[in-house]
Amino acid sequence: MGAAMTPYLVHLNAMTGGLFLLAAFAIVATRQMSACLRWFVAQSLLLTASAAVIGIGLGSGHLAAVAVITFLTKVVVTPWLLRRTVRRELYSRREISQVFNIPTSLLIAAALTLLAYGVLYPVTALGVGAFAAINLPVGLAGLFLGAYTVAVRREALAQLIGLLGMENGAFLAAVSIAHDLPLIAELAAAFDVLVTALVIGLLTRRIYDRVGGTSVGLLDALRER
Amino acid sequence: MELIALLLIPAAVAGLSLVLDHKRAAVVTLAGNAVVLALAVLVAKRATDAGAASALGGWLSCDPLGALILLLVAFVGLTSALFSGGYIRGHSASAGSARRNYYPLYNLFLLSMLAVPVLANIALVWIAVALTTLTSAFLVAYEDTSEALEAAWKYVVLTTLGAVVALLGILFLYWGTRLAGGEEFTWAGLLAAAPGIPAPVLWMGFLLVLVGFGTKAGLAPMHTWLPDAHSQAPASVCALLSGVETTTALYVVLRLFPVLEAAGGTQARPWFLVFGLVSAGAAALLLVYVRDYKRMFAFSTIEHMGIIMVAVGLGGTAHFGAVFQIVTHALAKSFGFYAAGAVLLATGTQEIASVRGLSRTAPATALALLFGGLAIAGAPPFAVFMSEFAIIKAGIDAGRYLVVGLLALFVVIAFCALMQHVSRMVFGPASRDRPAIVPPASCLAALALAAAPILLLGIYLPDGLHRLLAAAALALGATP
Amino acid sequence: MEERILYNLLQVVVVVGLSPLVGGVLDRLKEIVQSKRGPSVFQPYRDIWKLLHKDEIVSEESTWLFRATPYVAFVAPIFVTLLIPVLTRYPLFFAFMGDMLGGGFVLALGGFFVALAAVDGANPYGTMGASRTRMVGFLAEPVFIIVFFTVSFVAGSTIPYIVQSVWINPLSNFFAPSHVLTMLAFLMLILAEDARIPVDNPSGHFELAMIDKSKALEYSGRGAALMKWAGSMKLFVLAIIFLNVLVTPWGLAESTAPGEVLLAIPLVLFKVLLFLLVLVVVESSLAKLRLFRITEFLGAAFITSVVALATSASGI
Repeated sequence: MGAAMTPYLVHLNAMTGGLFLLAAFAIVATRQMSACLRWFVAQSLLLTASAAVIGIGLGSGHLAAVAVITFLTKVVVTPWLLRRTVRRELYSRREISQVFNIPTSLLIAAALTLLAYGVLYPVTALGVGAFAAINLPVGLAGLFLGAYTVAVRREALAQLIGLLGMENGAFLAAVSIAHDLPLIAELAAAFDVLVTALVIGLLTRRIYDRVGGTSVGLLDALRER
Repeated sequence: MELIALLLIPAAVAGLSLVLDHKRAAVVTLAGNAVVLALAVLVAKRATDAGAASALGGWLSCDPLGALILLLVAFVGLTSALFSGGYIRGHSASAGSARRNYYPLYNLFLLSMLAVPVLANIALVWIAVALTTLTSAFLVAYEDTSEALEAAWKYVVLTTLGAVVALLGILFLYWGTRLAGGEEFTWAGLLAAAPGIPAPVLWMGFLLVLVGFGTKAGLAPMHTWLPDAHSQAPASVCALLSGVETTTALYVVLRLFPVLEAAGGTQARPWFLVFGLVSAGAAALLLVYVRDYKRMFAFSTIEHMGIIMVAVGLGGTAHFGAVFQIVTHALAKSFGFYAAGAVLLATGTQEIASVRGLSRTAPATALALLFGGLAIAGAPPFAVFMSEFAIIKAGIDAGRYLVVGLLALFVVIAFCALMQHVSRMVFGPASRDRPAIVPPASCLAALALAAAPILLLGIYLPDGLHRLLAAAALALGATP
Repeated sequence: MEERILYNLLQVVVVVGLSPLVGGVLDRLKEIVQSKRGPSVFQPYRDIWKLLHKDEIVSEESTWLFRATPYVAFVAPIFVTLLIPVLTRYPLFFAFMGDMLGGGFVLALGGFFVALAAVDGANPYGTMGASRTRMVGFLAEPVFIIVFFTVSFVAGSTIPYIVQSVWINPLSNFFAPSHVLTMLAFLMLILAEDARIPVDNPSGHFELAMIDKSKALEYSGRGAALMKWAGSMKLFVLAIIFLNVLVTPWGLAESTAPGEVLLAIPLVLFKVLLFLLVLVVVESSLAKLRLFRITEFLGAAFITSVVALATSASGI
């Protein structure tokens, strides 16, 4: 790929990174479970796009394989698994009350993004290349935002999608810094994502069948009284 | 060679248990576990003598520290399989399908824990640790009550959250290794490349792995899922969870200690010390207020993880105490949970306040509970006392009086709390007059088998084990 | 030199003259999307003509504010037109009189007067509309500021003419996240500021649900004509800012030849038509938000602009 392409690729990658971050914000703020799932699929697509763009930019066939694996596991199989294991009526649930209201959550999420940038400043100051300069902070921010989603959301599906979003963030960072990880590790990691989705999906179904609702954030019978 | 068999056997047994009925599956699991233990002993011998055991062209490799963990996993796996036989059958009227899934999940869980010290590539080690959570999720939810499901949910979500954080940390370490020109991403490769890794990258990786896998190991303040999960699971599973699963997660964190030391400086030590002391302190305080005896043992796990972290952070001769503590904790904790399981079978309740006079209603169980409580609290002549003593002595020799003082204080508080709860359960008037309840035969056998090393190691450390421990401590970076 | 003044005045004439057409095209397009025929695109001209010839009724209780506001609201977009690139890519005579922030303030001045006049008229719906507009406005202000800050940061200047050229020199800048995301944030801002769905329904008749239209309910005759014209001018100006400053400077005259400048008029109209198509798609596919959900909508716009700032600050 000629040097003339590289600024385009850098900007394209930066754009996928920015949209990835937006998808992470959307997962924090969306009320309806099916919309949450769709934002996750969008985020996974952006992850695939970033992997593809960086693969073209670095001329790495390895990353092309990673992009394909990511597409298959996160965009195709995982949503299918989630739709099969979790009962359909759970997707039409809306989480009306969250721990913080949505604008406050968005502000906290923005602060977490700035925190991610700040925390990584010593690393990016080392001069990490244009691709990693975007993917690392955005990936870490995606991680923080996913963890925040797990912490403040009460619905089981929202927590699960927050968890999967965290993994997306970690993978986004991986694509730029660990792009020659042995393929077997990539495959195993993708498999792990699938198993996570499967196990948590089945657990959600079990909770729904046994308890009658999936507001897992409100389950607090186990504590020291 | 043994390493490959070590991994294939539990996989094969898991497959078999899917088709066999419950009783035969129990027998097959027991047999498989016994073979695994024998293989683990062989691997440990090879690792101590030759420095490392490897197979599959380097994809599987085990040095003394790994071999130690492997040995512990295999042993607790055996005793737990023995205990499961009687416990699961005699316990709750769980539905047929849940019971059918027990042994396959059990074996898969064991397989994932066996894989952690054996896999050479660190990225694959991460996957193994993540799989330990996923395979045990439905084991924790075995009871199928809403509390069990709540515990399972918190367990899976929080430990997976920690695992993803640790994933990013491991990726940073990989990147650092590549930047330093290292070729292999194994523990040895990472250690060799450590001086060349840029400091921000190394620290970022370390902190992420510490927080991420610290969550899985039950270090405070990320421990909130642990008492729930380790009390709601069936006792045989609890023994595995508390005894060895947290240890495998902690093992990954401990492996980073020599890496940071090699990169220059003892700056990582305060992190280990602080996390360790906070965990031990929080657990000791929570032990005073606990109301459920399985939660009591779970808090004790948090305390011991803290003690191990402190021991590693002290450095030098304390590392021997640290690896010894890993061994004694795994043995004593699993025994404690078997005792708790026997108490549950005898009384049907998990509340401490509801259990009185156990020595009259179920003497064998009471003896086991007393034994287990004393052992895990660190009373002589049990093994835990020896390892804690070794740690404290090493700390005093190194002149770290404040750290050792705090640690000793927390251990004493925990001891008093544990003994108070246990003695209230064991002694005193019986709640009602019933014929003496005896636990099922396999449970008794498991208790006896698990008790033997606890007593033995408190008095005498066999030479082979001593050499293994010394080699493992060396792997942590101790001065010989 | 003279041509610069001339072209500047030509810009004003174009905006003043063609903004009702833009409003008419938008309404017609929305109706077509809903499978209706819709009014003629020149209907707003006829409406304004009709209103100019009607009697004006002004309440005795109102003050000079009520009488002056239609003129202020009419003139404010004209002043902004003098500052922004409408037809040419090179700066015109008044270009350096004010930058983007100045233009923003002038537009806000018009809105300020309209809101006050609504309260002055003592129509209860007007007061309600004014307070709701203020709520939307105060949440939209931070987004405006951050958007302008981001583009100024990237371009190194706050003058619209200089900002617009950054996006195509080099061409790869077009895809920069600071570009794409500021476009997105500004589009959401236009929806909020100009009271389009999902923030408000511009073709609704139910006064209790109105946010923007209720402020102009009290006007009649010339005042109503000027308010209506000012409303369509505001949309046109915002669209021009969006298209010519933030999206792309294509279609604008490069040289001072009069032929090129006149050619720019239909090209700019074409760009505005594309923008109107996007607007129609957005308006037809979303539903109006409940009042307190508007804060979430603007929160999303805020986040988009913050992310644009963050990605541009990382040096890309």
